[in-house]
Amino acid sequence: MILETKNLSKSFGPRKAVDNLSLKIPEGSVFGFLGPNGSGKSTTIRMMTDLICPDDGEVLINGLSVQNNHHQALVGVGAFIERADFYKHLSAKTNLEMLARMDGKGFDNIPIVLERVGLFERANDKVKHYSQGMRQRLGIAQALLAKPELLILDEPTNGLDPQGMKEIRDLVRELNSEGITIFISSHLLDEVQKICSHVAIIHLGKFIISGKMEDLLTESELFTTELRVHPIEKAKTILESQDWIHNCEERTGSLFVNVLQEKIPEITTLLTQHECKIKAIIPKTSLEDFYLSKTGKNNG
Amino acid sequence: MIGLIHNELLKITGRWRSYIGFIGIAILMPLILWGFSYGGGEIHDEYAQELGDNFIVVGSIFNAFLATYIVMNAFWIHMPFLVALAAGDAVAAEGAAGTFRIILTRSTSRLKILFAKLFATWIYTAVLILFLAFMSLGIGTLWLGSGDLIVFDKGILILDQSEAWIRMALSFGLAILVMCVVATLCFMFSTMVNNGIGPIVGAIFLIVIGYIIMAIPIDMFEKMEPYIFVTYFDVWQQAFKDPIPWDRIIKSLSILVLYTAGFIGVSIAVFLQRDIKS
Repeated sequence: MILETKNLSKSFGPRKAVDNLSLKIPEGSVFGFLGPNGSGKSTTIRMMTDLICPDDGEVLINGLSVQNNHHQALVGVGAFIERADFYKHLSAKTNLEMLARMDGKGFDNIPIVLERVGLFERANDKVKHYSQGMRQRLGIAQALLAKPELLILDEPTNGLDPQGMKEIRDLVRELNSEGITIFISSHLLDEVQKICSHVAIIHLGKFIISGKMEDLLTESELFTTELRVHPIEKAKTILESQDWIHNCEERTGSLFVNVLQEKIPEITTLLTQHECKIKAIIPKTSLEDFYLSKTGKNNG
Repeated sequence: MIGLIHNELLKITGRWRSYIGFIGIAILMPLILWGFSYGGGEIHDEYAQELGDNFIVVGSIFNAFLATYIVMNAFWIHMPFLVALAAGDAVAAEGAAGTFRIILTRSTSRLKILFAKLFATWIYTAVLILFLAFMSLGIGTLWLGSGDLIVFDKGILILDQSEAWIRMALSFGLAILVMCVVATLCFMFSTMVNNGIGPIVGAIFLIVIGYIIMAIPIDMFEKMEPYIFVTYFDVWQQAFKDPIPWDRIIKSLSILVLYTAGFIGVSIAVFLQRDIKS
């Protein structure tokens, strides 16, 4: 495991932000870290990067404790935490030069990382003249500066337009293909589903579930199923009256229902009995459904 | 470490607040020198009257040295404000700007970062005092000329020009050390908050309290005086005594060093334990 948290706990006053959290992040993975607002994601990430000191437990990177061996543990880590805040009165290049000096490295990698995030042409512009999206990309660039083997990204697509999000997504894939392990926290579940090989969910500071994305979605008990049916209003009324249907919504001319996997054949029987014509039944289980089922936010 | 100090100096020079002290001195000193030059006759006459019949004054006693000595005495209360303007931001500004998230997540230790900031603050403080020396002595010499320095302090001390340069150098050296204590005090407060104003107010408040205790002649305050660091802030004036009271200078510096070590100790304890939540 390249990154591991062992029984990590942190309280702020009476509120327990993270409660006995243990995670294992395999080398070479793109690990999605999910949880609702206030679930303790940011606090966990800050403990991983030694910004916050845990009350209990520890974070290990390559077997080295971040809390006891800050220098050695974080030497191969790049981090982008929450927002890209820089010295705004300085240029992007000068900002990166300062960080390279901190890393005890030369400036050779600066043009490379700037090129990689598409800021090479604007390297000499002051950061205060950058858009939010450009600052986010500069945030990624600074994380890549020390040629990390582990990249910790906390909400890296915040403030980006769809094109910018896609660029970051492509970059994450590219970096992972080069062997960099990526630990990414995001509230954009669709994004996470597209790029992550593994995922962990926390809620109210507590560990809920963790594993390979594929396994979690396959083993999910609560499936979302798309029904193309006629007449749609009648079918909706029938399904909504069933207590084993957890949720039923009409979207873009289809019905989307949350139902246990073994109940799917009963939908067919029920609708046929009521003379509804079923055109298609398409399993649509998404990370979002899975996430909502695990964090108790599914209203079904 | 040099690289880290370089970074910190870049940050200090990038903040407009860092220039307030320099701008203030650059505007005030020529004005003061012009005032001395224009109304210097009166001061010259007063000095000549004090010297009375005992001395024959040849040439002008009103020169760059005397102007600098008067300016230092007048400026002394205000210099801590100028020093605190930069020191207050040293750590707090990073918290306010959110930049801790990019510098403290790197492999460099917090202790190294803290000391780099402290050294850069001291360098800034020294440069500010040296700028005052340049503006008063340097520009003053061009404007008013040089000569012997006459100091009235429980008697009359006349220092010839070559000795006056040495005493001025010693005095400014001691002034730098004293202002570094002020800077460290402000720096200590800066490690505790995310706003540069708080440390400035906190440090100045403590210094003003010290001056008040020194100024009020009541028994209790007089007993407290030896334990208050502000008491030793006038150590630079010892450079103009004859003979130079080295034992008093060493004692004052030792106490100031102890206080500085205490301020640094608190800064380390606070900064190493601090959770970065913003």
